[in-house]
Amino acid sequence: MAASTRTIRVQYYALLREQAGRNEERLVTSAATPAELYAELSRRYPFSLVREQLKVAVNAEFADWSVALNDNDSIVFIPPVAGG
Amino acid sequence: MSAFRFSTTTINVASLRDALADPAAGGYAAFEGWVRNHSDGQAVTQLEYEAFEALAAKEGERIVDEARRRFPILKAACVHRVGDLEIGELAVWVGVSAHHRDEAFAACRFIIDEVKHRLPIWKKEHYVSGDSGWVNCERCAEHEPSPRPSPAPDYSRQIALEGVGPAGQAKLRASRVLVVGAGGLGAPVLSYLAGAGVGTIGIVDGDVLDASNLHRQPLYALADIGKPKAELAAARLHGLNPEINIRTYAQRFDADNASTLLSDYDLAIDCSDNFATKFLLNDACVLAGKAAIFASVYQYEGQLQLYRPDNDSACLRCLWPEATRDGIVGNCAEAGVLGPVPGVLGSLQAIEALKLLLDLPGQLAGELLILDLTTYETRRIRAPRAEPCTGGACARITALKGPEDSIDGLEVSFASLDRARRAGYEIVDIREHREVAVEPMMGVPYTHIPMGSLLADPHALDPEHRYLLVCARGARSLAAALELRHQGVPRVYSLRGGIAGL
Repeated sequence: MAASTRTIRVQYYALLREQAGRNEERLVTSAATPAELYAELSRRYPFSLVREQLKVAVNAEFADWSVALNDNDSIVFIPPVAGG
Repeated sequence: MSAFRFSTTTINVASLRDALADPAAGGYAAFEGWVRNHSDGQAVTQLEYEAFEALAAKEGERIVDEARRRFPILKAACVHRVGDLEIGELAVWVGVSAHHRDEAFAACRFIIDEVKHRLPIWKKEHYVSGDSGWVNCERCAEHEPSPRPSPAPDYSRQIALEGVGPAGQAKLRASRVLVVGAGGLGAPVLSYLAGAGVGTIGIVDGDVLDASNLHRQPLYALADIGKPKAELAAARLHGLNPEINIRTYAQRFDADNASTLLSDYDLAIDCSDNFATKFLLNDACVLAGKAAIFASVYQYEGQLQLYRPDNDSACLRCLWPEATRDGIVGNCAEAGVLGPVPGVLGSLQAIEALKLLLDLPGQLAGELLILDLTTYETRRIRAPRAEPCTGGACARITALKGPEDSIDGLEVSFASLDRARRAGYEIVDIREHREVAVEPMMGVPYTHIPMGSLLADPHALDPEHRYLLVCARGARSLAAALELRHQGVPRVYSLRGGIAGL
């Protein structure tokens, strides 16, 4: 069976938003986990933060980078911010 | 019957009191002013009041109306005698009914003070000596401009709230809050907590005011530039609420003073602008078992998080086990920020603080709030306490440490970039494109790779070569060099002081 694809909504915050040049997007991906998705997006955008410096939330809950992605999941990559 | 009137006959308190009755009233406070037998050292036998009644009655009505607007009361009335009065007779009466006693007392006090101060009333005192003399009313506003009694904080608008009331106000009065950072987040936090009557507020800030602070720190003024922010903030807060106790610590919050500073307070609010302070405050609060409210902003967005030791809310390290190094993600100086953004996030911190101190429902618990002010999109991401911390103190935090120590020799100094070249370094300008366009480096071969691109692809650097990273002042190049070393690039160095230091 060919690798399955899924439609995912991705939102970017702070530095990632700047580097991706957008607040959010809907994309079709064969990435099976948030880790694979971030690797895929890192090839497309000049992300300066490595995965270890970020948190990922799947459907409004912090999630492990290796959790399985499902069709119509909503993913948020969150960098830490420090301004005050 | 009008709320204020003059009476030429004995005041009947019982009927006045009955007229204030209301099924919603929880109580009633009254003041009675009596004719006393002495004035300025002279014995007085009798008194005669005379008022400019047409004017005074209108002014009296205004005073009672003002009391009704200022305080959440039910009914209020005032009666003033005119004519001849004997010693001990009732000269003026004020009564107020309200839901709670605090408002009744406060409004009653307000009315009598204003009546004494503003009504055009004269009294003729008859002395034992047989003499008599007209004495102006205490301080008639219409007749002699004189200083008003110094105004006191008025919490009536928040006491009127069901969740606050007099008991809540007393809780705030007894609360002790430490605010770390008196900048963009600190300005609204400090203002609202002082205004609310939080009894003791500590302000930690080691910086002096810079002109670039003012667009997001309206607590200060242009004339304040160069002065310590902790002291400036304290002066402003004292003007806002002289009843509260304000303590200033014009120093950096660091690993040496963190525990001592925190020990005097019940709640800490993180209004700092760097990761080192945020994580240190987090660790100190977790170790001491104190609640903390964190906020951070970036350009047009912000994050808000509340840590409480007594529920399962995450601390910063539940989300970010390794403290993020400063310089990797832009702060306000590097990335820019719209002034009201920290204003909004700081206001949210103040709201969370008051909810916590007043024990109100709806507190952020076990979640991270992310607010994008360009789209108004709000995300609440569930953030329960991480595994090693569940059921007790955080296993990750055992002692307070400052920011991760720099690697020895990571920073190097050169008088010129040419000398660095001759010493065998390849120069890498890591500034942003817009900075390079404004101030390009001249006279020496170099590579330009903006910091973001460099960190995204560190293997563009040859591990056999020696690199000198250069930015405007040396902070970002140091952070980038440290990060690259951690990513396994062995020979990266940072130019101490950056281009400004050449």
